[in-house]
Amino acid sequence: MSRSHALRLASKEFGLTGKRGHVFPALSLQIGVPVAATAVALLIGLAIIASTGTPLEDAIAAFWDGMAGSAFNVGASINRAVSLTLVGLGFIFANRANLTNVGGEGQLAVGGMFATAMALHGAAALPLGLAFLVPLIVGAAAGAVWGGIAGVLKAGRGTNEVISTLLLTFVALPLVYWSVQSLHLLRKPLTDLSSLPESPEIPEATRLPLLFPSNQTSPLHIGLLVAIAALIIVAVVLQRGSFGLKLRAVGFNQIAARRAGIRSGSLIIIAMAVSGGLGGLAGAIMILGEQFYLTSEFSSGYGFDGLVVGLLSRGSAVGVVLGALLFGFLRSGSIDMEITAHVPAAVVLICQGLIVIIIAGSAIFVERMRRR
Amino acid sequence: MTEAQLAFFLGSGLRLATPIIFAGTGEMLSERAGVLNLSLDGMMLIAAFTAALTSWATGSPAIGLLVAIAVSLAVAYVQAVLSVTLQANQLVVGIGFNILALGATTFLYREIFGPLSRDTIPGFAQLNFPWLAAIPVIGPALTQQTALAYVGLLLVAVTWLTLNFTSFGLSVRAVGEDPRAADEAGINVIKVRYLAVLYAGALAGLGGAFMSVGDSNTFTEGMTRGAGYLAITAVIFGGWDPWRTLAACLLFGFATALQFLIPAMNLDIPVSLLLMLPYVLALLAIAGVAGRSRQPAALTLPFERAS
Repeated sequence: MSRSHALRLASKEFGLTGKRGHVFPALSLQIGVPVAATAVALLIGLAIIASTGTPLEDAIAAFWDGMAGSAFNVGASINRAVSLTLVGLGFIFANRANLTNVGGEGQLAVGGMFATAMALHGAAALPLGLAFLVPLIVGAAAGAVWGGIAGVLKAGRGTNEVISTLLLTFVALPLVYWSVQSLHLLRKPLTDLSSLPESPEIPEATRLPLLFPSNQTSPLHIGLLVAIAALIIVAVVLQRGSFGLKLRAVGFNQIAARRAGIRSGSLIIIAMAVSGGLGGLAGAIMILGEQFYLTSEFSSGYGFDGLVVGLLSRGSAVGVVLGALLFGFLRSGSIDMEITAHVPAAVVLICQGLIVIIIAGSAIFVERMRRR
Repeated sequence: MTEAQLAFFLGSGLRLATPIIFAGTGEMLSERAGVLNLSLDGMMLIAAFTAALTSWATGSPAIGLLVAIAVSLAVAYVQAVLSVTLQANQLVVGIGFNILALGATTFLYREIFGPLSRDTIPGFAQLNFPWLAAIPVIGPALTQQTALAYVGLLLVAVTWLTLNFTSFGLSVRAVGEDPRAADEAGINVIKVRYLAVLYAGALAGLGGAFMSVGDSNTFTEGMTRGAGYLAITAVIFGGWDPWRTLAACLLFGFATALQFLIPAMNLDIPVSLLLMLPYVLALLAIAGVAGRSRQPAALTLPFERAS
């Protein structure tokens, strides 16, 4: 059976002809539900802040200042959104094949760890921007391996990828801890007793160039361009490419997909590796773009936040970007709110949790609307 | 290794295992019914905070424990509405609850106790029977425990009996393997799953309360440190069997306790290797490399009656 014929067959079998009927009510719900959930959660957040006795306008002013009060804060918020976007894109990529990669945190952690190792040992002397490109690629590759392990287990042994990616995360985090604890690995030399368990700073050449080098106050770096490129590639592959169609076919029905000539095993491995690779890239960008040295908790929940962004987007690449911007700006705002207005940043965690729960709980209604 | 070191190691291993024995045993039953509570960590954290707060306010750790179980049951009920009735993605809901629990407990802790509180909270006393302490090594290890450690072991036995020798247990297993067939046999799938999630909630509440009023006598932000995930891992490594889950919990507890022993014995083993050991073992187990571990067929799959 020829390839194109197989694909036509597959698309016929799964009704994936590209035309969808009655998208409008479902589409408006798809946008309306997250917007409403966010609004409800933020209102509850405001009510909680009000209950502490802090004047609301002070808290909001501090929040706004942290999100977008200066070129620096806007840049920092967007840099946060870049990492979240990459993890979220990775999630929807694997999810197209009906694979749920919940291990973004671990993939991000190994990505950052290997990017640091590469930047410290060998990459600095490379010419032509390779000094930062090589650590970036090595970080992505490490994440791809970490995600790929779950893919291999799934394809080879039918191991549930939710469980394996979760477990792999809890293997990865102690690995990073180990790497900054051990002097044989990445820990900086002990100069005195108070030397913290962290890596030395990476060389200047290995850091991501700033987007606006003339404007010293903006921390925006070329990670933004990497994220935009990843966004376009993922969106095109998922929407237009035959690869996206194959992923969807495997996700719908592995046996039927195989009958249509699709090698589902290798496809599962590739999907998980790409997904993990995007997570690893996010980790590498966090180290090379902003943090510049590795600590045991450098990933600080970005992988889990990115997973949530991916979940909330319902498979849409644009949705990932919007969710990432929301979470990125929320995180930035909450930090300033805690420092200036003395409202615990944990309020934002409450809002995030509520957003996730409300959207997940209303999924069934959206689904019913779509089926109608 | 001296005798005192060994006794301390055994005692702290059992103490570290106790919260995950509670949470893991409840979670095992819930997963056998087909519902995965990724929110276990959040339930434990909320229970730990509630127990600490109530015990601090009333002076009674027992009241703290009861209130913690009640609050944890309420959280479990909401979780059941979402993952059973509304058929929401169990992973998403679980992660959402964990974020919410971390946010809510941290916020309330700072508002009520202040960010740098070092208050000790009234907790359960350790059992100190003279005849027990007289036994070498084991005696001193056991006298480090509160009564809750024994309650945990008892609950494993109760859960095993329930699962294997009662009609409710039969329903749980049927619902977790093939809900459609169970429904046709007249079992109320939804009700069984609600009860299973509530059971997991109650035990997670006990486990969380143990951490604050049974062990450390204090509350710190995010104090569960992933104990809920460790309990879920123990269920996986234990192959969804009560006794093997208990064995996994004990193994994980002792592995964690080794990190205190290793520096004392001047051994050069990285602590992080011990921290990742449970997860590596569980990974090998579900991959079928070490032991066998088959999950309930309908785990995380929502049930809807065909109309």
